[in-house]
Amino acid sequence: MPLDITLYGVQMPTLLPIFVIVAILQITIDGIIAETGLYRHVWHPGLFKVALFVCFFTLPCLYIYH
Amino acid sequence: MLLSKVVPSSQYLAIYVKNAFREWLIKDAPTLIYMVKATIAALLAMFVSMTLTLSDPRTAIFTTFIVMQPQSGLVFSKSYYRVLGTIAGVIMSVFMIGAFAQEPKLFIFFFAIWIGITTAAGVKYRNFQSYGFVLAGYTLCIVALPVIEQPMEIFHIATSRFSEVMVGILCATVVSEVLFPRKLSDSLDMNERERFENVFTSFGNINSLFGAQDTKDVDAVKFSSGVVGVHAIAVNSAFESVTDKRNRLYLEQLNLEFMHLSTTFHSLKNIIRELELRASIQSVDAIKELYVPFTKVLQSIPKLDDIGFVNMINQLTELKQSMHSYVPIDLKSDEYDAFNSAAYLISRVVDEYFIYVNSYYAYLKLKSSGNVSKELTRVVRFKTHTDNVLVALAALRGSGVLLVTMAFWILSSWKYATITITMSVVIGLLIGTLPRPLDAVTNFLKGAVSAAAMAALYDFYIVPEFTTDVYTLALVIAPVFMFVGWMTTRPKWTGFSLGFVFLFMSQSSFDLYYKIDPTTFLETTIASLLGVSFAGAAYILVNFWSCSLSQKRVAKVLRGQIIYLCHGPLNLQRGSLESMGRDMIQQFSTQGRLNVRSSRLVYEWLLTTLEIGGAIMRIRRNLNRLDRESVLVDKTLESIKEYFQTPTEVSKQTLLKSLEGTIASLHIKQKEEIHIIAQLSLIKTILLSRVAIPVFKEELCP
Repeated sequence: MPLDITLYGVQMPTLLPIFVIVAILQITIDGIIAETGLYRHVWHPGLFKVALFVCFFTLPCLYIYH
Repeated sequence: MLLSKVVPSSQYLAIYVKNAFREWLIKDAPTLIYMVKATIAALLAMFVSMTLTLSDPRTAIFTTFIVMQPQSGLVFSKSYYRVLGTIAGVIMSVFMIGAFAQEPKLFIFFFAIWIGITTAAGVKYRNFQSYGFVLAGYTLCIVALPVIEQPMEIFHIATSRFSEVMVGILCATVVSEVLFPRKLSDSLDMNERERFENVFTSFGNINSLFGAQDTKDVDAVKFSSGVVGVHAIAVNSAFESVTDKRNRLYLEQLNLEFMHLSTTFHSLKNIIRELELRASIQSVDAIKELYVPFTKVLQSIPKLDDIGFVNMINQLTELKQSMHSYVPIDLKSDEYDAFNSAAYLISRVVDEYFIYVNSYYAYLKLKSSGNVSKELTRVVRFKTHTDNVLVALAALRGSGVLLVTMAFWILSSWKYATITITMSVVIGLLIGTLPRPLDAVTNFLKGAVSAAAMAALYDFYIVPEFTTDVYTLALVIAPVFMFVGWMTTRPKWTGFSLGFVFLFMSQSSFDLYYKIDPTTFLETTIASLLGVSFAGAAYILVNFWSCSLSQKRVAKVLRGQIIYLCHGPLNLQRGSLESMGRDMIQQFSTQGRLNVRSSRLVYEWLLTTLEIGGAIMRIRRNLNRLDRESVLVDKTLESIKEYFQTPTEVSKQTLLKSLEGTIASLHIKQKEEIHIIAQLSLIKTILLSRVAIPVFKEELCP
């Protein structure tokens, strides 16, 4: 996968669209977890959320930069 | 007995140390934690933006201070609106530079319109939404003005500004969510419990209603701000996903029920005060007798636990049934009406308290077990009202400041005049949404001057002397960040801390490499301070607003409400009427320069308007249910309308006569008629009392 992509004539790092997609994914998953009450069983919901986001975001990043 | 006599001195000391520690943990530790969190977030933003070689790390650091709040929900909410505001501002800048870079007149014209619109929206909307609009306005200054001579630079500035804001927001949200997170829902819970206990104790004490003391006036305005404030927090807690939607619905419902209850209670208090002043002891005692069973029920509950709640709800159900069959005593006409209204209001207090207790109990159960015992079906609408003249004035001021500073730029052709423009627009927008803007501008100026001195010390002594890389920079700058964090926890210092942060961030040398020189520093500082002065002058000059104007506007809106209720649709919710009224009073007392005495008066107007308005709605609803036409009641409604259209002594007498005639003509046979009589008596009692109806009073405005 290239490091930069061009969207409608604007060149940007591939990380940017990935970030947006992961952010949307994160919001959806966060909503589902909150709705099912899973957060009650998590020690530190905030840390859990951040960790989840880091996992989702680094996976495609590792694929691009490997 | 003294504690020291029963326990040995070492234990005695241990207990005191323990208590002191507990107090510190509750009162001071949160401030310290917040300071540390704000500092860590700012340093993190500095590291990240310097590592990513963003062109202006200051924006990222500044952003963390702007969005950092003690509770995570508030941080998310403010960040969300900051992102939206930045996007809107950046898009507008690209458009403006693209369209009018070669047309100074059109550029300035559209610029002024944009600032006018965003200022108006900033005043019109509440909470962080307002901040979003403010930001959309001044981002245009920050992005478009510096590149006006090299329009092609706009994309670079726009993207870097956006990235810096994003870095700042991410750092602030991650730190506030991971390090000692504090939830909004917890403070809402505590707030609700405190409120419930307050109501419980003050209703259980008969002296809070009877007796000449006048505690109501002291916290009248605080009272409405409480309801409006809780609503604001509840709205922001939507950004915390852990806060369940059902909890939020319950909290909004409780807030609304508390609002109704407090209105009824204060109206009852007003009427009882009137009765105590004018009526016979016999009727006051009779009213007391009606109220005492209610206090007895509350006093019989030793503890607010599960059993206590069930017990209270059962007793209140019984009380409600016995209450509706009170026997009217033999009194002369006016006093009879007053007695009748007070009795009606007492039964309403009991009814509303019953509903409030039920909801609160259901909420507690939901919190502890997750079971819903009382499903909430309708969504409560909280309405706001902002005066259009207030909004128009703000827009005029915003655009005016921009035009004047633009003229200054063109006439002086000073290189740094763009900073003056930006600063004055920022203040015009930002301070306009704060209470007491003029004081805030003065404090802003003080903050800015102190920041300039501090920035000079850092730029020309500490940074060149002690720093070699980003780590040492972080070390020397951390105390200032701590200080800023501490200031933002002090509500009194809002203006000062804003000024300090704005100027320190624009003047300090947080660049990728050290590039500051004394001449530039001096010129940019002067330009910034000039901007502050321009904005301050605008607040002094463009301010036709006065206490009497505020009173007149509020009176007009309130009277208009009563007139509208006489003929408007019948499905209007009481909640939306009350919330709108309270929001308006809150708005006027912070923005409209009401002094303490007139805020008190305006609050009384609101109460009488809500009571008269509610009575009109109930009369009309009962009239619909009545099996025959009642010409007299219709006529009375008509004279109420006339009186509030032209409030003169003559129309008041006409209305009172009409009320008396109608009350005498109705018979106490049908349930609807009894209700109508009670409502008409209530209106009559309010009109006869000293309690003001919404008509402007000259003497309260010096």
